[in-house]
Amino acid sequence: MDAVVLAAGEGERLAPLTESRPKPMLPAANRPILSYVFDALVAADVDSIVVVIGYERDHIRDQFGNTYRDTPIEYVTQEKQLGSGHALRQAKGAVDGPFLVLNGDQIVAPEMVADVRDAYEPGRAFGALGAIEHADAAQYGTVSIDDGSVTAFFEDPANDEHYTLNAGVYAFDERLFDALDATPRTDGELSLPSTLERIVGDGNTESIQAVRTEGLWVDATYAWDLLTVAERLLDEGWIEGVAEEDDVWVADSARVHDSAVLRPPVAISADAVVGPNAVVGPATSLGRNATVGANATVSRSVLDVDTRVGANASLHEVVAGRAVDIGAGTVAPSGVADIPVAGHVVEGQRVGAVLADRVSVEGAGSFDPGAIVGTGATLGVGTHITGRVDRDTEVVR
Amino acid sequence: MCGIIGAVGRGDETLDVLLDGLSNLEYRGYDSAGVAVSGGDLSVAKRSGELDVLEKALAGKSLPGTVGIGHTRWSTHGPPTDENAHPHMDCTGSVAVVHNGIIENYQSIKEELAAAGHEFESETDTEIVPHLIEAQRAEGVSFEQAFRHAVGRLEGSYAIAAVLEGSDTVYAARNDSPLVLGVADDATYLGSDVPAFLEFTDRVVYLEDGEVAELSLDGWDVTTLAGEAVEKDVRTVDWESEETGKSGYDHYMLKEIHEQPRALRQCLQERVDELSGTVDLGDDIEAAVQNAESIQLVACGTSYHAALYAAELFRSQGVPAQAFVASEYVTSPPPHDDDTLVVGVTQSGETADTLSALRDAQRRGVDTLAVTNVVGSTAARECDGVLYIRSGPEIGVAATKTFSAQVLAVNMVAAVMGNGSASHEFVSALRDLPGQVQTVLDETNAREVAERFVDSDAYFFIGRGYDYPVAMEGALKMKEISYKHAEGFPAGELKHGPLALVTANTPVFAVVTGETGSEKTVGNVKEVEARDAPVVAVTDGRTDVERYADEVLEVPETDPRLAPVLANVQLQLVSYHVAKKLGRNIDKPRNLAKSVTVE
Repeated sequence: MDAVVLAAGEGERLAPLTESRPKPMLPAANRPILSYVFDALVAADVDSIVVVIGYERDHIRDQFGNTYRDTPIEYVTQEKQLGSGHALRQAKGAVDGPFLVLNGDQIVAPEMVADVRDAYEPGRAFGALGAIEHADAAQYGTVSIDDGSVTAFFEDPANDEHYTLNAGVYAFDERLFDALDATPRTDGELSLPSTLERIVGDGNTESIQAVRTEGLWVDATYAWDLLTVAERLLDEGWIEGVAEEDDVWVADSARVHDSAVLRPPVAISADAVVGPNAVVGPATSLGRNATVGANATVSRSVLDVDTRVGANASLHEVVAGRAVDIGAGTVAPSGVADIPVAGHVVEGQRVGAVLADRVSVEGAGSFDPGAIVGTGATLGVGTHITGRVDRDTEVVR
Repeated sequence: MCGIIGAVGRGDETLDVLLDGLSNLEYRGYDSAGVAVSGGDLSVAKRSGELDVLEKALAGKSLPGTVGIGHTRWSTHGPPTDENAHPHMDCTGSVAVVHNGIIENYQSIKEELAAAGHEFESETDTEIVPHLIEAQRAEGVSFEQAFRHAVGRLEGSYAIAAVLEGSDTVYAARNDSPLVLGVADDATYLGSDVPAFLEFTDRVVYLEDGEVAELSLDGWDVTTLAGEAVEKDVRTVDWESEETGKSGYDHYMLKEIHEQPRALRQCLQERVDELSGTVDLGDDIEAAVQNAESIQLVACGTSYHAALYAAELFRSQGVPAQAFVASEYVTSPPPHDDDTLVVGVTQSGETADTLSALRDAQRRGVDTLAVTNVVGSTAARECDGVLYIRSGPEIGVAATKTFSAQVLAVNMVAAVMGNGSASHEFVSALRDLPGQVQTVLDETNAREVAERFVDSDAYFFIGRGYDYPVAMEGALKMKEISYKHAEGFPAGELKHGPLALVTANTPVFAVVTGETGSEKTVGNVKEVEARDAPVVAVTDGRTDVERYADEVLEVPETDPRLAPVLANVQLQLVSYHVAKKLGRNIDKPRNLAKSVTVE
């Protein structure tokens, strides 16, 4: 069976981390979110993976190339981001027979993918989708189920009724492409759930199998959710390609000074460096070639590729993008903050700071909990940051 | 300069395997292509033009046969025509031969064969080989002995393979041209390089000069030309075939430009240690460079620009160093003493001119070091030491990621000269380089610059110090893939002549990074500006050159020794976008081939 992965979207709510790369490429512990999606598909023995790419697509192609763990990858492009249904439509002609569909920005347990693959009966139903019980289902897309079939879709459930989460794991065959073509667009956009809703709605005889399944399912809605995502993956032990001992993962090519302390769970990627007397962890991951300087303390944080933490810095609950340079003596304590995102305020979030790609903190900086700094911003020596700093801003004391 | 493929043991799939192999080899030459399959009847198909011309000619036809050879050609003798395409056959149509290299004594053999009544259809040097085999066969000699005899007559460079009607054996031999066996459980392959058959097997046997390989349904065997058995190691290459596809990019070149951060990470891995501030390239290389009282670098094309850069870098370490164009080095070897080290910089490790220079040095008793990308290549095997740049396969004819990795590698060599103790700052800068290349890729405005100047008459590139090789390389890239006139100059030389060429329609790309001399380059920029030429500054922002520039290509500030890598990435992208806008055949520019294995 082939598979289609939808990875063309930007993920605006994860800004500023998505200012220069798409959400599927954000770090989940020490690897991009998308690599976990591919892991699940490889575990489900798919023949090939068709990836729909769009926003900042070079990052995806550069990372994964032509194959993932010997499974061929084909790329198709969605030039304008006009919804999940429109994205999927681009894969027509690239898949053969029944196929799986996954979101490229949600991590799902491999068993869920296998369950949907095994349950789908093209002769009996139009499609199948994975459904799970999830405490926070109402934050995501949900479905109503009756007698093993989906009866309704809710993209933004409003009340507190009991909902079952649409896990975003689907199986279809070619009929889906005709259904997408026949679905009217809303504001120029075409979503997959709205197409499926039409399929199972009044006057249609087609059904969609609801495949009840369970297991790990994580999605980052906001940038700081990457901290929880990393913690879940570290707790699950879903860290690949790195040797583990007692929940401490250290790559062969990483260099950890003898006097440094790694507090589990913690993952240290290839080429990373941890200096003398540094303390890293728990619930922390260092991306490839990241560096933590002497005497620095980093806990419950995600530091992406090439990020540097200077000597004596103290970071708690910090998300740092690629090549962030955090100068010596910088302090980011954790705390509870109300954070404005795209016109509304997300209340009561535990987060130290979010630093987008290539932010430079020149030394002895400090952050109020919940500080959000845009791509390439430069924060001068000794500056104290509260709230939001826009892309490429220079802040001086 | 051509590509050879061979396959034994694939049964009905033989033709498909050969065509796949040829498409993987097309970067080695692409002005004609052909295949011969045997096992029973001998069938040959060949066409001038790119491989798809042959594929179209073969569409819907079956060429029956269970063993075969194929060839993609880059002309050296005779224009690219159907007749001159390989494989070549004898008068009876029972022997087919493919060849890469130049047979220097072919005229005398051809006259001798013609006098004996042989008729030739092509102008190639290769065609004498099937006729030599035919002549021996006519005297009742076996295919194997006839092949050995024919090869024994040849002078010059060759990788050669032959099939015979009614035989399921392929014979192959090499001298000064690359040839590799690919070994699988039930099949054996032959290729000019590993990517030719990498999708079928990653186990390889490198043939040496003067060896003959027999590929049959029973497996493979390597002997000397005289027939003595040779023990060969089977090595496993760690390139993955995934690295040889385009990843959804329009061109290999752009894919490979984007692969640079990864290539540089691989080049650095476990060689630099920031905790101790040291660089470790192994004891052999360390001893070789520390014992060298002077260094001569030999290289061609893009690798020569990396060598120019390396020479300046080594001089800054107090070691007399000079870069030479390899073909000139052979023609007029410079003086050396006992403690001279000759460093050959060659992506493929098969560049004939560079190999020739290295061999010349070895004959004179000088130590040699190869800086190459290809594990097990001729340069790697023949030199006293080898430093791999670990870029992975580079398919685009225009070298990109391998230049960056060469520059990075020679920086590590320079660090080793001082007992391996660079400085923590420098090791940090080395480790930051991949991420800074990524920054350039993420934020570049090269496409806009290319669009603005795509219709210009010519392009000039200037730089001083470490930026001078970048200027040269920027111009070479532009020439290679856009076919536009482009020249690189040391910034100070502009006013000594080339300035006469500068007009309002010849943009000048000024590479201005680091501190040493860059203010003077800014002065040269002002000279250009005064002649109304548009100026594109490639700068790390350490000078005020932006004030005099019409367009700016920014690079992150780093150690002045490493900034040229970043500046070069911007110029790679400008050339790419100019060529793309002009609709050029970017991965396979006219008249060029990836690695030139003839002198």
